[in-house]
Amino acid sequence: MSEHATTVTWTLNGKQVESPPGLTIMEAAKLHDLEIPNFCYHPGLSIAGNCRICFVESNRSPKPVISCSERIAEGLEIQTHSEMALEARNSVMEFQLINHPLDCPVCDKAGECVLQDHSYTHGPDRSRFEENKTIRHTKKLGSTISIWGNRCIVCTRCVRFCDEITGTGELCVVERGDRSVVDVFPGLPIENSLAGNVIDICPVGALIGEDFKFEARIWDMKKTSSVCAGCSRGCNIEVQSLDGFAKRIVARENPEVNEWWICDRGRYDYRYLLAADRVTDASAGGEPIDSDTADSSLNDLVSENGGIVGILVDPMMTCEELHLVNRLSSTLSDCQVAAWSTADGEAESFPNGFTISSDLHPNRAGVGAIIGKDAFSTVAKGLRRSLDAGDIDLLIVFAGFPHPDLEKKWIESIGKAKVRIVFSLQSGSWCEGADLLLPSTAPLEKEGSYLNQDGRLQRVRTLIAAGQQPFPSELVRLQALLTHLGERPRSVSSSGVFRELASSVEAFSDQSHSTLGESGCVLSSGKSAVGSMGGDA
Amino acid sequence: MAEITFSKKSLERYEWLLTRYPSKEAVLLPALHLAEEEFENIGVKEMKYVADLIGIPPARVYGVLTFYTHFRRAGCGKYHIQVCSTLSCALRGSHEVYQRISERLGIEAGETTPCGRFTLSKVECLGSCDTAPMLQMNDDYHEGLDLELVDQLIEQWRAELPEGGSS
Ligand code: SF4
Ligand code: SF4
Ligand code: FES
Ligand code: FES
Repeated sequence: MSEHATTVTWTLNGKQVESPPGLTIMEAAKLHDLEIPNFCYHPGLSIAGNCRICFVESNRSPKPVISCSERIAEGLEIQTHSEMALEARNSVMEFQLINHPLDCPVCDKAGECVLQDHSYTHGPDRSRFEENKTIRHTKKLGSTISIWGNRCIVCTRCVRFCDEITGTGELCVVERGDRSVVDVFPGLPIENSLAGNVIDICPVGALIGEDFKFEARIWDMKKTSSVCAGCSRGCNIEVQSLDGFAKRIVARENPEVNEWWICDRGRYDYRYLLAADRVTDASAGGEPIDSDTADSSLNDLVSENGGIVGILVDPMMTCEELHLVNRLSSTLSDCQVAAWSTADGEAESFPNGFTISSDLHPNRAGVGAIIGKDAFSTVAKGLRRSLDAGDIDLLIVFAGFPHPDLEKKWIESIGKAKVRIVFSLQSGSWCEGADLLLPSTAPLEKEGSYLNQDGRLQRVRTLIAAGQQPFPSELVRLQALLTHLGERPRSVSSSGVFRELASSVEAFSDQSHSTLGESGCVLSSGKSAVGSMGGDA
Repeated sequence: MAEITFSKKSLERYEWLLTRYPSKEAVLLPALHLAEEEFENIGVKEMKYVADLIGIPPARVYGVLTFYTHFRRAGCGKYHIQVCSTLSCALRGSHEVYQRISERLGIEAGETTPCGRFTLSKVECLGSCDTAPMLQMNDDYHEGLDLELVDQLIEQWRAELPEGGSS
């Protein structure tokens, strides 16, 4: 056998297969669409080999071998469903469950629990255990995470996460044998910015997120694939919602962006959707107006204005919304489009390379590529100067910021426009005195795409079901306005708007919503279009 | 929390240990033995000290310390009596040995006498099956036990550790 073989020929369940060398049996089987049961194995962590549920039969061993750590080799013959393999997994399941409280009916993991799944497919249908079960602690390990010790199968995924990914090492397994359970050192809770991931990767219901505890049953929730808007990294997320309300956000795998992880800001920061100071209704001069009146008021204010127009976009807007702003701007005779943003947050990096960006906006690069790379700097400076000089007749402001930490000077300048239309997520001083105030959609309620800091364009999807929107989105209102101005015959979906964007902005030219798929695409000229964005004006 | 630290002698010993083990983590077990010698019992303060000394997360020390039964954890009596209850000892009467000690000290396995002098534990095989039944008291093995010998031992320990003399 050559040392430099490029493939290994081995046998999986009686079929000869070829795989790249160096893989474990589990990894290689997966490439052949066969998922071998596992608990302690996680592709993002080191191999622990402690749970033994991945037992398979090998021609090279008198006893079953664990497929998560045994590597494939020339001539290896593996049976995943032989009598020996099934028997071994059945026994493992019986042991796993002897001290388990079998409290699935009240367990938040039920429905996505690997222990449930494997018990169903591999376990015995009854217990022979007649002794007393051991009791292990249920307690908080940190402000957001509790452990329900009786459910812990001591796979150590969570411990390895804190050792290998965050390097913070807060978790350990204490005691041994049937008393062993995960814990923190007394007085040193788990509080790192990636901590919530341990809840995602716990294969059972032992680690429970305090914010999700008893909130919803897994199978009742709607799952929406989207992208986090917490910073410019654009981690892939799944938003899980019930009746249009976000219940939980979990990480969605994307090897090119966030691997299997998201940070706690991305995970927990969705309460602003229901914040008391959220703008939910349109108003004119401070008086609430209904949606239709708001629409016609928007149309009238824009079409009747013959003067100088300024538009201030925010980097929470999707590429599609930005494109519509561009279209609007080009229909107006004298219009400048600038961008503003909130103050920077704190960047944080972890030993495995995960980095949280200080730029708290998901689409700054999109603004750069679509509006122009000077939108935040020179153009913004110019717009501010015109505002301060009282030269702007109509200003359209987009303030879709979940956490509007905005510059005072900007807000003062905004107040100097003769007529002001504001789309805002939260109410604040920039809304005061607006001639027309319209509610903004939050990032989790948008359909479209975001361009992240590395030039990767990714799809964002709304958690709100079609027809359930409490108010027309910016995508709808801007298109209605363009129709009113005679710029287009009718409104189209966000994918349709994207097609227009692709035909008008070079960087997007070979893309469509379908090419973006689940994990997005790097725009070929993305990097150069993004370039250096400079600071805010 | 009062500051604690190894004596100069223990620190020298620790430095020497570092040269004998391939990694800092590997030195944890002998460092815990040193801590036991130095501080008698190992509690939160002591674990934290050892963790900081070695430069590993305190949780690692906590996990390792609690994995083993033979370390003297915080709250352990001056005399830690560990009665072997595995097969050979069990066949040769370890249960009676345990029972006798439990009655005479008035505590069950896992408990410490209110005076803080004695802690009683049941442990697995201590590798002295040929002299079963046996127990370990702190660092010493007491082998080939019978009830008379057990009584004698208890008297002897009580005499060594007069009540009120515990720390
Ligand atoms: S808490 Fe969950 S992830 Fe951690 S060891 Fe237990 S079962 Fe595994
Ligand atoms: S790193 Fe940024 S994009 Fe990723 S989850 Fe956190 S806030 Fe969201
Ligand atoms: S998955 Fe292989 S031993 Fe746990
Ligand atoms: S069984 Fe007691 S020493 Fe081995």
